[in-house]
This record gives sequence, structure tokens and C-alpha cells, in this order.
Amino acid sequence: MEGIFAIWQRDLMKFVRDRPRLLGSFAMPILFLIIFGGGFSGTMENLVMNQTSEIEDFNYLTFIFPGIVAMTLLMTSIFSSLSVIQDKEFGYMKEILVSPVSRVNIAIGKMLGASTVAFMQGVLMFILIPVLGVTYEWSNILAVLPIMFLLSCTLASLGLLIASLLRSTQGFQLIVQVLVFPMVFLSGALFPVTNMPAWMDILVKVNPVTYGVDAMKKVMTGAGDLPVAAQNALGLNLQLFGRTVTVAEELLFLIIFTSILITLATISFRRANA
Amino acid sequence: MEPIIQVHELRKSFKDMEAVKGIHFDVAQGEIFGFLGPNGAGKSTTINMICTMLAPTSGSVTINGYDAFKQKAKVRESIGIIFQENTLDEKLSALENLKLHCRFYRVPKNKRAERIQEVLEIVDLVDNQKKKVEEFSGGMKRRLEIARGLLHYPKVLFLDEPTVGLDPQTRAHIWEYILRLKEKENITIFLTTHYLDEAEISHRIAIMDKGTIIALDTPDRLKQQVGGDVIELGTEDNDAVAAQLQSAMPEAEVKQEADILRIQVPSSDQFISTFLQQIRVPITSLNIRRPTLNDVFLSYTGRDIKAGPA
Repeated sequence: MEGIFAIWQRDLMKFVRDRPRLLGSFAMPILFLIIFGGGFSGTMENLVMNQTSEIEDFNYLTFIFPGIVAMTLLMTSIFSSLSVIQDKEFGYMKEILVSPVSRVNIAIGKMLGASTVAFMQGVLMFILIPVLGVTYEWSNILAVLPIMFLLSCTLASLGLLIASLLRSTQGFQLIVQVLVFPMVFLSGALFPVTNMPAWMDILVKVNPVTYGVDAMKKVMTGAGDLPVAAQNALGLNLQLFGRTVTVAEELLFLIIFTSILITLATISFRRANA
Repeated sequence: MEPIIQVHELRKSFKDMEAVKGIHFDVAQGEIFGFLGPNGAGKSTTINMICTMLAPTSGSVTINGYDAFKQKAKVRESIGIIFQENTLDEKLSALENLKLHCRFYRVPKNKRAERIQEVLEIVDLVDNQKKKVEEFSGGMKRRLEIARGLLHYPKVLFLDEPTVGLDPQTRAHIWEYILRLKEKENITIFLTTHYLDEAEISHRIAIMDKGTIIALDTPDRLKQQVGGDVIELGTEDNDAVAAQLQSAMPEAEVKQEADILRIQVPSSDQFISTFLQQIRVPITSLNIRRPTLNDVFLSYTGRDIKAGPA
């Protein structure tokens, strides 16, 4: 246990000291907020209002904001896992690998480090709430925090698995580029993904971000309490095998995703000993 | 007493080559064990297997009574490793690096502060402990790595080229620290180095070449086996002198190097009194000395330790 804690703490310590990284990771989400929140919101609001009369006063930003936060979690968790490759390049990974800390604890410690960093970035995004002029219930904001942390864990595990297989940061950047953007666009973070062609629908359903985003939106906007027609119009009727998934099920999926990915990363650490 | 390291029939094959071909040796508690060999001899592969970092094809390694392949965590607790390359976190302070190490190795909480100061004292870094490692010089980093490797009181300390890339003065210092430590803690030291003068401090030396251990003895006895004196002779026509020498003194071993002849003879007296007078070619340089470890190395492997694989 202490090994997990030590590895976790080291990554946090390094993150807090690295100011440019802290600021830099805000750039992309804010850009997306401007484009999707500012540029598209009129169009999206009309679209939704025309579909249903259940919603009186629809603010697209309220709906898109949790998606942007999820996107921040995705980018930060995956990029934070990069620290594994940096540790390899700068030699520190050897110090960890020759120590008696078990391989699974190394993987968990690294995963928790990256996900905590991502989680903190995600929470920091909340300072934009008053600036954007959107409102959420305090209780909903509190309720979404554990979901955010869980989603960060899933994505950090994914990043960790990729990082454990690679030796150079260059390869990682490339894989992340071809992975991160599809994962954002095919998650429902920025626009509804309910009426996709079949092949794309499969990608949406195997994308862990989809479940995280859906759960975050339902919980944060309180949309889970809205009438079904309204939920459908917002694209919050995520279906799997013909039935709508609940928030609880979504969290379960995330836990399963995380367990599988951590197991694979552990195996990869055991193999990459030398 | 039971040897602290026991290596038995250790083998490792990679796809198409056998890197380690069934080697066998013991290291006694408190011994300084030198492990030498040219590049590509299988040294690193052997060390990686002993340190639990690489699974062997067959054979066994026991350290401190634990099986290196079945009780990895126990073995890892019993050893400290100073790698050739830097493995410090340079963004953190020296103190932070040491604290993390204590936690990885589960050093008892109430002993940590005390031990950290103790190892810092051994390597003379007490005054620099709050500084970030990136501000350290090469020698300071090395010393910090050694301090860190000692923090969990390992039974065996592995030093893989501990002074490579350091200036001679710093090298001498590092050795002072290592020996001071040896006096204090009576730990076993497993050493690899390219500097053969450094290997002289070993109690015993193993020379590895082409996957096998070709010699294993004390430095003195290894040198005795080479025997006699070494004469390094430079002349204006080395080829002619070499040919003349072969016929005049068949017992001499002659090796041509860049611009000198390295001649190994049972005794240099006879060489000087008889042979030197016969040479008609002008002599440009002459050096007579006792054999060094490098001569030992040369006579066993047929090449200089600094040279690459033949």
C-alpha cells in the first residue's frame, strides 16, 4: 500500500510544481467551449426546442459544459500517463522496478497519480461556471465528483497501458492524437451521438468516455429527472442491447473497463522488466 | 557461513544466441567481488538475472537465502543497485529522492529520518540535501545514488560501473565512500567496472567472456598466473624485432600492438642482458613492469577491456 501512495504522491508533487503544464492543459477545453458553446449554441438550442415542447428554457451551454469537463479529464489523464514514459527515459522507472513494490501496485500508483491530476484539472474547470453564466445545483456538482474521478481512473488506465508498451514519447504523442480526438467526438461530449450509422455506433458503445459523459450530464444537469421525450431530444437516451442504460450501470462499466486495463498494464510492467 | 550469493548453472538464451552458458559461482558475505568482461560477454545479462530483472532460461540464483526467481520481493529488499545511468528524479530534491526510496522499501517510519541523515553523512551531502538533484554535479549525483542504494541496509550492493564518466579525483572520492561504507556495514559488494585499477580492491575477480566465466581468483593470484614481467618495447622496425625475438627466446609471448611490442617473459633479467644487446634496430621506447589486471584480462580474453567485442 505504501508503494502505491509513494508513487501517487510523487506524480502529484511534480504536477503541482509544474505551472506551465497546469495552465497549458486549459487551452484546448476553453477553445472547444468557445467554438461549441458560443458558435453552435444558437443552432443547437433551436434544434432541441423544435423537437420537443417539454423544455421551456434550454441552454446548450449547460448541456455541453459537463462534456467539456469530461474532455479535460480525457486529455489530462492520458497525457499524465506520459509520465511513465518520461520515467523510463530519465531512468527513474528502474529505481521503481527494482524495488520490492509489486507490479500491480506500481500500475495502480501510476494510474491514481494520473487520474488525480486529471480530476483536479476537471474540478478547476468549475471556476468557469459563473463566467459562462450557467447554473447547476450544488448537490449535483457534488454528486458528479465521484463520477469524474472514476472516469479519470478509466482513462488514466488506458493511457498507462499505452505508455507501458512504448519507449519513446514520440510514439505516444502519435497514438494519443489518433485516439484522443475520436474518443472525444464519439462520446457525446460535444453533440448527441444517438443517431449514428451502425459501425460508428459500435465505436461509440466501446468508448468508455461515452458512459462517463452520459452519467456526468445526467447527474450534473439533473436531466435524469426530465421527461423521457426531453432526454431523447438531448441525446441522453444511451441504449445498449436495446435498453436505456442507467447511471449505476454506466459506473459499473467504467469500473470494469478500469479493472481490465489495469490488469493489462500490470502484465505489461511485469514483462518490461529489463 | 553460507555464501550470500549462490549462482548455479545459470543460463540465458535469446532468440538465436546463448548469452550466458551455464555459469556457476558463489560470493561470500562481506566480500568485494569484481565482475569483469569485455562488452557483449554476457555480464549485464548475468547481473540482470541476479537482480531479479530478467528471467533465466535455466539455473538458479540464491541471494541472502532467497530464490531470485521465486521470492523476488524478498531478494529486492536484500539488494541495493547503483546503475550505470542516472536513476534519480532530478526534479525532486535529494531529500525527497531518499524519502521516496524509504517508502518503496518499507523502511520503518521511525527510523527514516535518522537513516537518511546517516547515509547523507557517509557521502558528504548533508548540506545539499534540500537542493534539487538537477543542480548537482555528476559526482554528487553518483554519491546520492550510492546513498540511496544503502538506505534500506541491503545485504549486497551491486555497483554497475559506479564511476564511469567521472573525473579521476571524483572517482577516488567515490571509492573512499564505498570503502568507508564497507568498513562500517560489512556489506557485500558486487562490482563491475571498466577501470581495472579500481577492480584491484576486489577480494576476488571473475572474468567473463563469451557467456562463460573463464577465470575466478584473487587479483594477486590472477596476476601470478600471467607470471613474470611485462616488457613494452618500441623500435623502428617492430616486425623484424618480433621475428628475431621468437627465435631467440621461444618462451616469450609476443603481441604486436599499435606501435609497441608487448612481451611477456618469465624474468626480465635475461631479456635485458642477452636479447636487448642483439637488436640492431634502434629502440624508441622501453618499459618493464609487473603484470597488471589488464594483462590478466588480455591473456584470458585476447583483447583489451576497453575494446569492443572481437
